[in-house]
Amino acid sequence: MFHAERFVEKSISILQKEIQGKALIAFSGGVDSTVCAALVNKAVGDQLIAVHVNTGYMRKDEPEQVKQLMRNLGLNYRYINASTEYYQALTGVEDPEKKRKIIGEKFIRIFESVGRKEDIHYLVQGTIAPDWIESGGGLRDTIKSHHNVGGLPKDMKLTLVEPLRDLYKDEVRKVARVLKIPVAERQPFPGPGLAIRIIGEATPERTKVVREACDIVEKEIEHAAAKGLMELPWQYFAVLIPIKTVGVHGDKRAYGNTIAIRAVQSVDAMTCHYSTVPHEVLDTISTKITNTLKKKVNRIVYDVTNKPPGTVEWE
Amino acid sequence: MVRIYVIDNGGQWTHREWRTLRDLDVETRIVPNTTALKELQKDHIHGLVLSGGAPRIGLKGSLGNCAEYLDAAEFPILGICAGHQFMARHFGGKVQPSKTPEFGQIELSLCIEEDFLFKGVPKKSIVWESHNDEVTHLPKNFITLGESENCKIQAMRHRDKHFYGLQFHPEVEHTQYGERIFQNFIGLCEE
Repeated sequence: MFHAERFVEKSISILQKEIQGKALIAFSGGVDSTVCAALVNKAVGDQLIAVHVNTGYMRKDEPEQVKQLMRNLGLNYRYINASTEYYQALTGVEDPEKKRKIIGEKFIRIFESVGRKEDIHYLVQGTIAPDWIESGGGLRDTIKSHHNVGGLPKDMKLTLVEPLRDLYKDEVRKVARVLKIPVAERQPFPGPGLAIRIIGEATPERTKVVREACDIVEKEIEHAAAKGLMELPWQYFAVLIPIKTVGVHGDKRAYGNTIAIRAVQSVDAMTCHYSTVPHEVLDTISTKITNTLKKKVNRIVYDVTNKPPGTVEWE
Repeated sequence: MVRIYVIDNGGQWTHREWRTLRDLDVETRIVPNTTALKELQKDHIHGLVLSGGAPRIGLKGSLGNCAEYLDAAEFPILGICAGHQFMARHFGGKVQPSKTPEFGQIELSLCIEEDFLFKGVPKKSIVWESHNDEVTHLPKNFITLGESENCKIQAMRHRDKHFYGLQFHPEVEHTQYGERIFQNFIGLCEE
C-alpha cells in the first residue's frame, strides 16, 4: 500500500540531500504543485522560491487566489504576469502539440531568467506519473506532451527535481491530507490552462469566452453536488469549439460558437468514465452559458466519451 | 515477500501494473524488456507481468527479450494486451488487426467453469480495453478462458504452465475485478 506519512518522511530526507542551494518551484496552485511546494518547503525552508506565472490562460480570479494560497502556505514567492507574451506566442497556432510545447518552453525560459537573477540552479516541478507516461519517449507512444515533461526544451539550464514522479493524483491527495494542505480536494487543472480548452487558435477573445463558460460549469456542478443532486466529478469544465451553428435569439437569426461540457469520474486519470450529470443541472448550465455569452455561443453539447478512447481534456 | 516484476513494453498502463502489485504488498519493479532473463533470475523473482505496448507491437517482430522469458521461465507469467498477443504469437498462434477494435468499457464473458486466475470473478463482468490488434488463432497447448462480443480471445491459458494472456486490462481502476485477478496471479506466484 501507499503510505503517505512514510512518503513524506522519506522525501524530505532525499530532498535535503538533493537540493544544495536555492530552488525554484513552478507553482500553478493546483494540487500537484501545491503539495510539492509544501513538501520541498518542509525540507529546505526558505531556500525554496515559488514562482507563479500568469499565462493569461488561467480561470476566473485564479491569479489572485493563487497569490493568496502562496501567502497562506508561508511560501517565499514571485508572481509574474506574462499574459501578453503568451498570447503573442500562440498567435496563429492551432495544433495542440505545438500549443503545449510553446507553453512549456515559455515557462522554462521565464524560470531560467528568474534563476539567473536570483542565483537558483534547481527547478522543482509537481510532475506526477500520468504526465511522463502520456508524454512518451523510448518505447512509449506520445499521447500528449505535458508541458512539464514533453514540453521542456532540450537545452534547459536548471536541474530538475520531481519528488512526486511516481505518484498518481489520488496518492498526491493523500499526501496533501497528511501535510494538511487545503487544496487536497481541488479538481485538476492542466498547466497549459484554458489554451487547450479552446480548439484551434487560443486568442484572448476566445479565452474570455471559455473562461466564463468554465466558471459557469464549475459553479453549477459544485452547487448541484453540494445539494446532493450528483456526485462531484473528478474534473468538470467547458471546451470552446469554434464551429458556428444557427440559432434564434428573440425572433432573430443567431450564428455562434459551440461549448462542450465535459465532466468525468476517475481515480488516477489513466482511465475515466464520463459523469452522469442530471438533466436539470445540464439545463441550468446550458441556459446560463447561452444567456451570458449571447452572441458568442448559441449551442451547448455534453461530452459522453470515456478514456480510452478519449482523454479528459480535448487537446 | 513475493517478488513480481513488470516488463515494460512501453504501455500507457505499465506503471499502473506496478502500482497494483505494490498496493497488494508485492515487491515489484518496472524493468525494461531488454533485461536478460539471467538478471531477473538473480533477483529470485516469483513471477512476471508482460505489459502492453505502443500500437501494433504485438503483430510482428520481437518484443525485447520476452521470447527468452517465455522459453525458459519456471515462474508464472501474465501477458497483458501486447504482452498477451506476443505470448500467443510466440507459441504458434496468430495475431491480426481487430475487425472491431475495442476502447473503454466492454463486457467480458468467461467461458470456463473454473480457473485459478478468475477465482471470485463472475461469469460476466466489466473490463476496460484499449487495443487495435487481437489474438485470432489460439496457439497449441492453450485454452480460451474468456471472450467479448467483438473479440473471441480475451483471456487464455497454457495447458501445463502458469502462462496467462489477457487482452483486457486488469490493472486499471475501471476494470471491475481487476484487483481480484491480480490477487489470484499473486497467489499463483506464491505457490
